[in-house]
Amino acid sequence: MDVFFNLTLNGLATGMLIFLLAAGLTLIFGLMDVLNFAHGGLFAWGAYSGTWLYATTGSFIIGILGAVVTGLILGLITERVIIKPVYGNHVQQILITLGLMLVLSELLKVVWGPNQLSATAPDFLKGSFEVGGVIIIKYRLFIIAVGLLVFFAVQYVLKNTKIGLVVRAGVMNKEMVQALGINIKKVFMLVFMVGSGMAALSGVLLGPYSGVIHAEMGMEFAILAFIVVVIGGMGSFPGSILAAILVGLSGSFMAYYVPDLALAANMLLMAIVLIFRPQGLFGWKG
Amino acid sequence: MTIQLKLNEVETYIGQFHILQGISLEVRKGEVTVLLGRNGAGKTTTLRTIMGLNPSTKGTITFNNEEIQSLPTYSVAQKGIGYVPEDQGIFSELTVEENLKVAMKNESDSTKERLNYILNLFPDLKKFWKKPGGLLSGGQKQMLSIARAYVNDNELLLIDEPSKGLAPIVVEKVMESIIEMKDTTTIVLVEQNFMMASTIGDHFYIIDDGQTVQNGPMEVLKEDDEMRRKYLGIA
Amino acid sequence: MGGRGEKKVKSIFVQRKNIVYTIIAILLILFPFMNDSRSMMILFTQVFIFAIFAMSYDLLLGFTGIVSFGHAMFFGIGAYAVGIFMKQFEPTLPYFLLAVVITILITAIVSYVVGLLTLRLKSHFYAMLTLAFASLFLVLAEKWRTLTHGNDGFTFRTPEIFRDRLDFYLICLVSMIVVFLLLNRFTNSPLGKVLQAIRENEQRTESLGYSVIQYKIIASVVSGVLAGFAGILYSVSLRFVNTSVFTMDITLDALLMTIIGGVGTLIGAIIGAGLIEFAHHWLTELAKVHWIFERWIIFFGIIYILVVMFFPRGIVGTVRNIKLKSKKRVTDKSEQQKAAG
Repeated sequence: MDVFFNLTLNGLATGMLIFLLAAGLTLIFGLMDVLNFAHGGLFAWGAYSGTWLYATTGSFIIGILGAVVTGLILGLITERVIIKPVYGNHVQQILITLGLMLVLSELLKVVWGPNQLSATAPDFLKGSFEVGGVIIIKYRLFIIAVGLLVFFAVQYVLKNTKIGLVVRAGVMNKEMVQALGINIKKVFMLVFMVGSGMAALSGVLLGPYSGVIHAEMGMEFAILAFIVVVIGGMGSFPGSILAAILVGLSGSFMAYYVPDLALAANMLLMAIVLIFRPQGLFGWKG
Repeated sequence: MTIQLKLNEVETYIGQFHILQGISLEVRKGEVTVLLGRNGAGKTTTLRTIMGLNPSTKGTITFNNEEIQSLPTYSVAQKGIGYVPEDQGIFSELTVEENLKVAMKNESDSTKERLNYILNLFPDLKKFWKKPGGLLSGGQKQMLSIARAYVNDNELLLIDEPSKGLAPIVVEKVMESIIEMKDTTTIVLVEQNFMMASTIGDHFYIIDDGQTVQNGPMEVLKEDDEMRRKYLGIA
Repeated sequence: MGGRGEKKVKSIFVQRKNIVYTIIAILLILFPFMNDSRSMMILFTQVFIFAIFAMSYDLLLGFTGIVSFGHAMFFGIGAYAVGIFMKQFEPTLPYFLLAVVITILITAIVSYVVGLLTLRLKSHFYAMLTLAFASLFLVLAEKWRTLTHGNDGFTFRTPEIFRDRLDFYLICLVSMIVVFLLLNRFTNSPLGKVLQAIRENEQRTESLGYSVIQYKIIASVVSGVLAGFAGILYSVSLRFVNTSVFTMDITLDALLMTIIGGVGTLIGAIIGAGLIEFAHHWLTELAKVHWIFERWIIFFGIIYILVVMFFPRGIVGTVRNIKLKSKKRVTDKSEQQKAAG
């Protein structure tokens, strides 16, 4: 029972981190048909800048905020400089974002050196407590809480504000949104920034969770996020959290019982979805 | 009467295909202008070109004495042109309410007035207010699409084949509402259904092979069997 | 005017090009006999191997318009297949050939399955799925220790004929030339023309009655098998294999080489391979001078982005465009003069 509970908590925490990464990917894709292969790079930049800020200032909150701001700024630059010139050309887009991924992770090494950095949770999130005989690690709970908070906040904006309405409408039919007098490129820029901010948040949260951060983890997590985006359905925001939890849980349980097959299980899931429901389990865009 | 929209020798390519090869037309304020012609003649592309969805490569498009041919779609829409596409372009996962809200530029009284007006015209939309657009019937989707273009506060509506795939009784309903809207809005209509076109149209243009070949008051076309046979394939 | 004149120009152009290629090939064959620098010879061998790899990538990206981010997996399959056979059995030619056959089989099956799964969908899916598949192979190579010895990899002995550096240099050079000629033939065949039509306009090709997905899968399989072959040569050249053959770096190499060299040209892939390998060699040397050169890949990343953005046809494509334009101007002028005279 204890093991089961722990694995679930672990899976949920990982799932939330993947969700934060995948949510941006899926909205960016849904809105503009842009699949950002540099998303993992923004994630890694969030991790490094946040961890560094936390270490320098001693405040975890500043670290988190700094990471998010880094994500927003890098997102803005990426969209304006890298993505905008190649709108509408899929092949060029895919190629160019991967190139950016390469540059971002190499730049990371230039700024913070090629070695991994260690990261610890702040005191108030260290340790664990016991509820009914089950030991709960505080930091995992924290990640889950942050993830849910972000989910509900974004969900609220999507459901209840004009801009959210426009984003949802844009995912379904961007031509029509423009024919109603809305400049979708501006909306897209905003979504791109927010998505990048969420990726950076995911990165900085991962630090204390895994103990160390390194430049390569951007790609590792991005692959999981891609799997989530496919399973959840490209463009589906609710799909991204459900699929992320699914992938997080399956990863956590597989890693405990059959560790060698953890990634393979998720890949298999993705392959099945691609064969039978290429629009994703919760999406409808092909 | 004032000319609201004017196309002068407009040409449009889609890929390497030369779809519009010289479209010239004038739309007068407060009238329903109907574009007729065979399938593939370029009627839909004409509307899309006006909206900037398929930008023109040659010629000028003037709306209220302002050239709009090089504006992006959203600016064209902001000038006051609404578009009801052939497939209605409903946001299928948004409710009827949300579909209309996307289109409402503000919460001002005049916008609310327009909303009330159009909802009275299409009471069905009120009935399914919280229903996702994708679950509406074909006729209801058509009404929602027209309503959406209307609450967008437009002076001119481009409506692409509103009768397509609808039952005759529904066609009648849509027709009535367009006649009703004529009082406040100028309309350009693409229509294959000649009964409908001739009932509500004031003026016609025939497009053939990407060019405007004939035009005149609707009465002329009603009486000219030869012209109808030649360009529309109907007697 | 135009038509006939242009054709003439083109055929002269092609002839001259062939002469240049032949001279370069001869120079490359003679090179090890004139130059006794062992490290240069090894470097050139690497260039040839990566040129094969990059050409296989070019078939996908440049000729069919498919983006793969997991090309390393085919490379790695070949590298490990030969390593495992040489290690577990005997380093003899029959076993080597068996490893080649196994490589062809596995790469063909994998590329077929990946293609079948994603090539009917938007191009993003293929890129994504290949990326994920490659990471799966990387994990497999890390975890299946009995065969792969994990991260550290293992050394192995190779059949007699590959042991001499000079022989191996020539084998790789000939392989590269053969692959170049084969792919050249392939891309100019009716099948290759269909692939290029797909790249230009997929929907139109489909509406002309071609089953686009089948052609794309064929390209995917041919490309996968050739990449596997490059992997075989790679691990034989090192007599060593480890998990690095499955990493993103290998795929990035292919990408940089094809994009910078010039997509859809084959020769661009070869030039790109030479450029990147030599740059790698020299810049690693320079790293001793200043640490920034350790991050040499950053320069190439930036160049790569700029090329994708501004010169999507790469070095070869851009040069060709300029040449064609000036040639055309010359013929136009001469024809004008003729007409005037």
